[in-house]
Amino acid sequence: MAWSKPIAREVRCGM
Amino acid sequence: MTGALTPLDRPFLPRGVRLHHDRVRGVEVLLGPETALMLDPVGHAVLAEVDGTRDIASISAALADRYAAPVEVIQADVIEFLGNMAAQRLVEVA
Repeated sequence: MAWSKPIAREVRCGM
Repeated sequence: MTGALTPLDRPFLPRGVRLHHDRVRGVEVLLGPETALMLDPVGHAVLAEVDGTRDIASISAALADRYAAPVEVIQADVIEFLGNMAAQRLVEVA
């Protein structure tokens, strides 16, 4: 797997 | 939080923050008090290296070896990523 900028997305309440 | 992280900072997950595998969605999540962040594979790889004993330079070197990518690129991304986490109190540094 190639390196890419790490991502963290906030889980919205509705999910 | 006093400014940007440095390569010599040793990040750790504070009490109440942990990595969790969400079986429903099949994604890795960072759980904190009253918050949850869905991680992409690289984000999870970074946080999985955060053990409170190694500094950011060491973590970046390990990731550079695994991903066969330039360590200076990875270290810059790791500092930015963990810095954002630290701003939310989901990561602390020693």
